[in-house]
Amino acid sequence: MQNLDLKSRVQHTYEKGERLVVPLVGMPGLKMIGSTIKLGQQNYRIHAEALQALIEHFAPDIVFPLMDLSVEANAIGRYTLFPIDDTATVPHVAFHLDHVDMLPKIDISADTRALGYAKVIELLRHSTDDTVFRAAYVTGPYTLAALILGAQEAAQSIILEPQGLHALTEYCNGIIKDYTQLLIEAGAQIICVLEPSASMLGPDHFLDFSGNYVKELADLCSQKGIATVYHICGNTMHLIENMVKSGVNGLSLDSPSSGMDLLKVMQQVPENVLVMGNLNPVGKIHNGSPEEVQAEVLEVLKSVDSYPNFILSTGCDLPKNTPEKNIHAFMHAGRNYRIANN
Amino acid sequence: MARNEELVNAILKGDRNNVQTIMQKAIEQKQDVVQLLDGSMIPAMREIGERFSRNEVYVPEMLIAARAMQAGLTLIEPILAQSNHKSLGKIAVGTVKGDLHDIGKNLVAIMLKGAGYEVLDLGTNCSVDKYAEAVNAGVQIVMCSALLTTTMTYMEEVVKHFKDTPEVKVVIGGAPVTQKYADSIGAHAYGRDANEAVKIVENIIGASA
Ligand code: B12
Repeated sequence: MQNLDLKSRVQHTYEKGERLVVPLVGMPGLKMIGSTIKLGQQNYRIHAEALQALIEHFAPDIVFPLMDLSVEANAIGRYTLFPIDDTATVPHVAFHLDHVDMLPKIDISADTRALGYAKVIELLRHSTDDTVFRAAYVTGPYTLAALILGAQEAAQSIILEPQGLHALTEYCNGIIKDYTQLLIEAGAQIICVLEPSASMLGPDHFLDFSGNYVKELADLCSQKGIATVYHICGNTMHLIENMVKSGVNGLSLDSPSSGMDLLKVMQQVPENVLVMGNLNPVGKIHNGSPEEVQAEVLEVLKSVDSYPNFILSTGCDLPKNTPEKNIHAFMHAGRNYRIANN
Repeated sequence: MARNEELVNAILKGDRNNVQTIMQKAIEQKQDVVQLLDGSMIPAMREIGERFSRNEVYVPEMLIAARAMQAGLTLIEPILAQSNHKSLGKIAVGTVKGDLHDIGKNLVAIMLKGAGYEVLDLGTNCSVDKYAEAVNAGVQIVMCSALLTTTMTYMEEVVKHFKDTPEVKVVIGGAPVTQKYADSIGAHAYGRDANEAVKIVENIIGASA
């Protein structure tokens, strides 16, 4: 089971006194091959080439693709903007919850961009060996609903129109499940659910409108031996328990600058759930020196020494212009770290 | 000051219909709406803001409380205008250029309204010119919001623009913004959340009164 592979790899690495090192890095790969974000998000060959460059330069333990929260929304037919060198966005276009059943029944495996993201995984499967895990992103159910309805409208509907919002979220989750299948068939070994909009919710609403839907995704993946990771940027200290309840295999968490306290998280999370994080993606790694990056990495690692279930990562996606030497410093510091008293 | 518990609770729960009913009735009975505002509506918004700061309620609850408050305010605004009830001060709130995130900005705006200030909501993607126009319209405090590390740098431009008009105070906030950043660009103040935004404004207005 590949799922077990990730967990046992983490465990095995810990026993050697080391950590897996996994920056959320996609965009800087485009810089390395001299391409734009627009091309990378629209052309799977360029996308794959960028990831290949990242693997060759940095040798991460897991390769993550370009972060793109517009794939599913775009496939549903929502208006999407592709700035030349910024990530695609889905601007707010008025939508009413009465119209959920008018949303199209799409076959996402017939959508060029969704297929392209699957194709990237397939290309990596052929070009990489089994020392690197292939991860794929899907948009979280609540976040996709919020993209369709508007973020503020979705947050209000939780209280004002819960049934309508459930219908929309249910619809979204159907699309996300299909997309997940497509990515798994292409060779994804880890499905990472991007659910940033849910950071705004209280714990109960979170479980109701995100966690329980993500549970369906986690079940689907675990049946196929695929690991799931919940990634939420922003402060999620109040949500950790319910993120775990969704049955995912891992949590990917944001940096201390957003209010996260990694040690407290480790104390709350059961040992069979992996925790990834949480170097500030726009702090020293973006504007500091390699020495400062190293110091920050060591600080993160030292704080969680006694926990086997930790993977060193960044709190969120690294911006395109993150200096290469700083990503190297991150990798180097992570690779050379030795867990104390191990 | 008399407190109308029913009104306070309706706002806390975000029950817009009930707020409207209560206000409508009060208006028909020619009750003192200024007292309803100062004695019930403003305290209710303060309460919800504090619960939010303490993580007892979250964005959805805040948003619907704000919506209920707004509905009540809309009903009494014409009366307040006639009774020449003076607002505590005039404040502009806007998300900076290049940035379209507005939920945090909206919460700041409604909390200020809820605290009795007149608020010019400049919307999102605000250039320096937009803030300057608001100042020309009598605004004394400019509140800038940014959610992107790439757009928060624009706040420096705003601060620079008002450098020679020290009576205009630039207050900044938004998830990536910090006190350190505010100090580094010379902003008047930084606020962590919508509740703090009100406290900062109270301090500024209090000091100049
Ligand atoms: C909702 C959301 C969106 C919605 C916005 C909808 C809307 N109407 O606002 C949409 C989908 C449109 C969107 C678009 C984008 N987003 Co966005 N978004 C978010 C999200 C999930 C929540 C933001 C939010 O509303 N929080 C809730 C409010 C209440 O919090 P707040 O704004 O911080 O406000 C509080 C305080 O900061 C304070 N405050 C706020 N303003 C002010 C002002 C003053 C004066 C004071 C005193 C206080 C104060 O008071 C508020 C209440 O307490 C965050 C991720 C996250 N989990 O935080 C990403 C996030 C902010 N987005 C991000 C990005 C990158 C984008 C996009 C570029 C594309 C993308 N990949 O999503 C586009 C940019 C569009 C643009 N040009 O602006 C990044 C920013 C990274 C960075 N640090 O630069 C984040 C962090 C997610 C991520 N890691 O990718 N986004």
